[in-house]
Amino acid sequence: MQPGMAKLPHLFQPGRFGRFEIKNRIKYGACCVSNYNTRDGFITEREIARMRVIARTGCGIITNQGAYPDPLGEGKAYFRQLAIFDDKFLPQFERIAADIKEQGAMPIQQILHAGRYGGIDLGYCIQPSDVPQTLPHFRPPKVMTKEEIRDCIRQHAEAAQRAIRAGFDGTEVTSFMGYLLANFNSRFTNQRTDEYGGSIENRGRFMRELIDGIKQATPDNPLVVRLNGAELMDHWGGNTEDECFELMRQAADVGVDMISVTVGWQEAPESSIGRDIPPGYWNYLSARAKKMFPSTLVTFGNRLPDPRMADDCLRDGVFDYWEVCRPLLADPDLIHKAAEDRLDEVRRCIGSLNCLSRLFRDLPYTCTMNPALGHEVEPEYQVTPAAVKKKVMVIGAGPAGMECAITAAKRGHDVTVFDKADRIGGNLYAYAMNDLARPDDLLSVVSHYETVSRKLGIEVRLNTEVHAKFMRSVLHQYDVCVIAAGATLDRKRYAHIKGAERMLDGLEVAHGRSKTGRRVVILGGGKLGLTLAESLRKHQEAEVTVVESGKRIAGDVMPSFKWRHASWVEELGITCLTSSSLIEIGTDGVRLRNAKGEETFVTADTVVQANAAMPAHSLFHEFEWMIDELHGAGDALIPRGLEQAIQDGYRLGVRL
Amino acid sequence: MAVDATSDRPSTPNCGVDRLPSPEAWLAAAAHHGELFAPLDPGVRIALLARSSPTQMLVWEAGNAGIDAQFEAFAGYTASGADIVLAADRESLLEVCSAVTGRLFEVLRAGIRSGHIVCYVLKRRCVLEERGLDELLDALGFAFMGACR
Repeated sequence: MQPGMAKLPHLFQPGRFGRFEIKNRIKYGACCVSNYNTRDGFITEREIARMRVIARTGCGIITNQGAYPDPLGEGKAYFRQLAIFDDKFLPQFERIAADIKEQGAMPIQQILHAGRYGGIDLGYCIQPSDVPQTLPHFRPPKVMTKEEIRDCIRQHAEAAQRAIRAGFDGTEVTSFMGYLLANFNSRFTNQRTDEYGGSIENRGRFMRELIDGIKQATPDNPLVVRLNGAELMDHWGGNTEDECFELMRQAADVGVDMISVTVGWQEAPESSIGRDIPPGYWNYLSARAKKMFPSTLVTFGNRLPDPRMADDCLRDGVFDYWEVCRPLLADPDLIHKAAEDRLDEVRRCIGSLNCLSRLFRDLPYTCTMNPALGHEVEPEYQVTPAAVKKKVMVIGAGPAGMECAITAAKRGHDVTVFDKADRIGGNLYAYAMNDLARPDDLLSVVSHYETVSRKLGIEVRLNTEVHAKFMRSVLHQYDVCVIAAGATLDRKRYAHIKGAERMLDGLEVAHGRSKTGRRVVILGGGKLGLTLAESLRKHQEAEVTVVESGKRIAGDVMPSFKWRHASWVEELGITCLTSSSLIEIGTDGVRLRNAKGEETFVTADTVVQANAAMPAHSLFHEFEWMIDELHGAGDALIPRGLEQAIQDGYRLGVRL
Repeated sequence: MAVDATSDRPSTPNCGVDRLPSPEAWLAAAAHHGELFAPLDPGVRIALLARSSPTQMLVWEAGNAGIDAQFEAFAGYTASGADIVLAADRESLLEVCSAVTGRLFEVLRAGIRSGHIVCYVLKRRCVLEERGLDELLDALGFAFMGACR
């Protein structure tokens, strides 16, 4: 037994699912589709390469991403979603199933009919009732006739048979996030007056018939159903939690083999899986399901990224299988590291939802933390031994620099990192210290870099500023210099403004090196300005006004997190003046002008610049003729953010 | 003026049928937010209704001569001919009534975010934007609404 397995005995305990032996209690969940496939539903080599990595994660059960079951594409939710409505798609499914089995795992194929969120190529979606959309990127509804309901169930059953023929051992249908099954179950979207609507018994009829249809079509293979423990739609007339559990009871009664407990709809006005939700927050839903349905297997994993927490849950009977997806996208070696007692090396999912932000813009998903995700098929993205061992100096111990340093060191290069600060992390550390959501998540990135760099023997020289004089002192000692020194704020931007000398640098404030007063004006409504404003308001009870020259705040914030800032701004009572520019800073406040040319005065004892991020281009010019190879990464090239810094650093590290 | 006898909250002067604001107040609200309504194409319709009794709706309708506001019978979402339907619960309707000549869009935005107002969109974003609803959607907070949060 590997050392970590003894520490997590419940997680690595074998189990059964139907007639299948499962090597541990971990189910890879089909958390979202990848959008790596063809527009007409065929699996690509890119997808197969990704699934080869997933197959090797060490999970006992692996769920392949959702495929739509109907030839019209009414069930199709995503731009490049898989299809399984015809045998012509099967050869690639066969390869995936075989690969998963080869790794000793049980392959499950998810069938995903998106219902209210489907019909992406059609201009309409199908639903139980005529309930319009609340998010305008979805299609207007068309009500399903009873004949269409029967057809839909038949298509699901045929899709399940097809998956089993392709080599999958079981299938899964999903109501997660408001798909067709959820639309029938929910009072919000099911307002039918026939036997498929009205009472909860009637609303659950479609689900019961669907389960029954699939079970009859594939009697020897287990079926999973993903059901909401909480829709988070009850304010809008959706199901209460009690109703959600009554629907689970119906599913259990008709013989579903496993219930996957999920949370939330895509259009729900509350957060469900973002990083503002603490890990373990939704566990009570799974515990309730397990208590109510002791003879039905329960799997769960929403906002439960830590194997240690999962092991405790298994011990306490919260669920039978830990369902995990995004943490394995962030670090496909998570389970192996847990088994080998190397959890300190795990690259944690930080819940940025970059994956979903891209998906809902019809882009292939990527991962903030794992730059190789989606590029598994490309040799250029793999960490391979370097042809020539080089001495590499990396300037900056932020995410771009550390990612580059670690990747280069893994390839055999001799790497030294320099940073003028006294700690690893760069500006990410400053953001984490002011973050109202989950500072731990952001700090986990820093501690990951600290641990892995130490284990790889990377020398990190802190409190060391690299400038031209320093470079001359190390001339010819290094083969490569990577400038990853991050961004600074362009203080000249406001040099022409009267009183500009009173302005504080937002990054200095974020790092805790400059102190603010009780009435603060922050220039810039991007992520730095908003993060500072929220922190100063919440932790120091400062009266804060954010001044943004653009029409909207949060312009540089991850799309899936914009709402969170907007919500905090309102909750905390932060004033945001958009389309406004600074005219003058006085001793007791600032004078502003809005888009209409109107001038206002805002009282303030502190003015903070939190905009005009500037790359470190001067370093490139200074060092150009002092080293063989000179490269840049992250904000030092173009100020953007964490994801781009990590991607830049990695991409550079694999090719040095 | 209709008053809900079951409510222990004071009625507001702007409340009309079914606790909806009066058309006059609704018209004044549109005038107060001229920058949001001026770009609307003729024919754009935005409806407000009470979720508890969705029989009447109060409609802003853009015409060649500007914005009009009137009560109409609500016969279903599609039949409403609206581009957007705001379906508000009792509590938020009171707040809407109180805010018609002031911070109306702030109240609507907060109501949508908290779930007290359901904002149904009967056309896709690209169509709504073509019809001049870009700024108005922004004011309702759509820039900050996203899937899978």
